[in-house]
Amino acid sequence: MGYEEDLETYRSQRLQSLSSQPSRSVRGGSDPIQVYVNERRVGELEGVGVDATLHVKNLEHIETIQLRTEDGTLLGGLVAPEYGYRTSRIQVSSDAVELCVHNTAQGGALNAAFVPAPSYWSRTWKALADVADRLAIRRPDTAIAHSMRTIAFTQALLAILVVGLVVDRMAIWMSPERMLASVGQPEALRTVSVTEMEKVERQLGELARIQEKVGTALETQQKGMAQLHQTMAKLSSSHESVASSVVMVKEEMEKRQEGSETDRPIQRPVSDFVQKEQLEAAIKSLTVDNARLSNELARLEEHNQTLSAKLQTASVNASKAVAQNPERLLASQPDVESKNQSVQAAESSQNSQTQPFLFWVTFSDGTSQERIDQWVHEKNGRKGAVNEGWQEVRIVPPAVPPDLFLEQIRGEKIVKAARIRE
Amino acid sequence: MQNTVSKSQVMADHTVTVSRLEEVVSTADEFDRVVSQALPVLLDRATGYTKRFLRETGQWNDDIEHEKFALRWGSEYLERFLVCGRTEVPCRPLFLFDSLVAKQHSKPEPFCYHPDLLRPLGRFLDGLVARAVVSRDALIALYHHSYGWGPGEVIAATGLNGLESQRIYKNFRRWRDSGWQRTMDEMGLTKAELAELSSQQQRHRQRFNSEGERLIRVAQAHYRKSEPDHYPCLSRSQWREMFTQGYGCDYRIWHLALCLDCVQTAWGLGSNGSLTEEKPRLELQVRP
Ligand SMILES: [Zn+2]
Repeated sequence: MGYEEDLETYRSQRLQSLSSQPSRSVRGGSDPIQVYVNERRVGELEGVGVDATLHVKNLEHIETIQLRTEDGTLLGGLVAPEYGYRTSRIQVSSDAVELCVHNTAQGGALNAAFVPAPSYWSRTWKALADVADRLAIRRPDTAIAHSMRTIAFTQALLAILVVGLVVDRMAIWMSPERMLASVGQPEALRTVSVTEMEKVERQLGELARIQEKVGTALETQQKGMAQLHQTMAKLSSSHESVASSVVMVKEEMEKRQEGSETDRPIQRPVSDFVQKEQLEAAIKSLTVDNARLSNELARLEEHNQTLSAKLQTASVNASKAVAQNPERLLASQPDVESKNQSVQAAESSQNSQTQPFLFWVTFSDGTSQERIDQWVHEKNGRKGAVNEGWQEVRIVPPAVPPDLFLEQIRGEKIVKAARIRE
Repeated sequence: MQNTVSKSQVMADHTVTVSRLEEVVSTADEFDRVVSQALPVLLDRATGYTKRFLRETGQWNDDIEHEKFALRWGSEYLERFLVCGRTEVPCRPLFLFDSLVAKQHSKPEPFCYHPDLLRPLGRFLDGLVARAVVSRDALIALYHHSYGWGPGEVIAATGLNGLESQRIYKNFRRWRDSGWQRTMDEMGLTKAELAELSSQQQRHRQRFNSEGERLIRVAQAHYRKSEPDHYPCLSRSQWREMFTQGYGCDYRIWHLALCLDCVQTAWGLGSNGSLTEEKPRLELQVRP
């Protein structure tokens, strides 16, 4: 229900707006008229009371032309022919727009010209020009209608010069108010004296002759204008192409700029890359070296451990050797040194050369002197002084600490007691 | 009973009108007279063609939104026929009208169709952007409806000179006076729908704007094609050159109004520092 009603309201609104179309325009006197070709905006015609023109060259076929106000009201339009020309004069309130569209196989072209409404004065001039036209010769067979219009306008202009003269004379014997009221009314002319009229007629006759000359002059001028237009069109198209090539060049430059901007980062990475590669290679070789080094280190460590183990064994062996065979130790000093089995042994052997180990001993009761001498000999030692039963003995310093050495000696059957000091 | 009588009367009138439209008219005045008497018939005819086109292209749905859409375009075609047809005399108005509508429908994208553009917000935005293509007032108003700008901000953002600035003030005034209302009428937006949109704008601003941005992009992409061919999107440096050299006034006004992205790109180029540094965000305004 609401649906139908809503739709019907909308429909009648649309119809109302369509039927009141022409009066809807709110175009201000000086507002430009928007020109659309194939429903695309192509430009505007200045509507400030001067003749403005718009020339549009379309690559595609022109189908429609529309004129709109700035508020979007459709003022008029034209459907272009498939091929050839079509002209139309569209009335826009008191002004008009003359459209000329031309479609060819190459595309379409539009010429639009704004023709402002004639002012009060120009309407007066036109009325008078018509009079002048009647008095002057007619040229019904002149070729182009447009040039006819131009000539007519020139006639009007020339005529107004004459009227200006008339008004000038009239001003002498007419009051200012009357003059204002009479201007533009042809009847006012009737009140002018006969002599004045004769003068005017004479002048108009001259005017007619001048007009003829002006007419021919205008025709040549128009031909010139047509040529000028062609040149202008060519110029504008070449200008367009120049502009487009400028745009292209700019784009090209921008691309290049962008290109060079992107080139640089590429070059930078190249050198960066090389450096990086080198660096990486260096790091790799360093790593390899490092690995080698740590292998080496591990091996060395292992070796070191073996050495320490050997050292320990050697120490033990040495101590055993010393304990078991001190004479051999003393005798084979250089041998011991060369074998380098024990630093301590070497040291003690070195010390032994300088300072023999001295200790005091008493022997068990009943031990013979012979047995005592044999024991000293066994120890690779030499007998020293005897004091109160204690025998001094010098030997090569033992491999074991002195206390331990004394203990070992005390453990022997032959020995009763042993001491270092006297 | 009375209803049937009036209906048959309407049918008879319809037949008479149609047969008159089939006859040759030889002057523009005659064309105006004959056609102005047949507006309802022609409107329904154009609407019917548009419906058929939508059905055949799989864009039809039996709801009021689609009915309004068809009616809107029907009246659009009829308006063009009214002004262009009178230059075609002598002609048979009905055949001329049919060929004109057929020509429209033979175009690749005769109108901007998107299901979401048929809802009130979509219709509102579609109406604004479509109107901006044919009306400079609406084009300038698009800046206001998109970003909430006044004339001064539009002038600053587009970098216009004194003479052009005067026009902007005029555009704004006319839009407020009549342009906005006419556009809303054209889109068939009712007072209730507009009030609802206004309240959404106030109460759910973020959602309203983000939905609006999605829809306005659809519409802008379609209607920007009606710009002159030489008005594509530009880079920041290209915009800068245009602003600093002072050319392309039309280009700036037209393209920036119809392209959210380029407004961002060209932001601040024409302002001489009078605009804030912050780039504009879509702030949809329902009222003019
Ligand atoms: Zn853009």
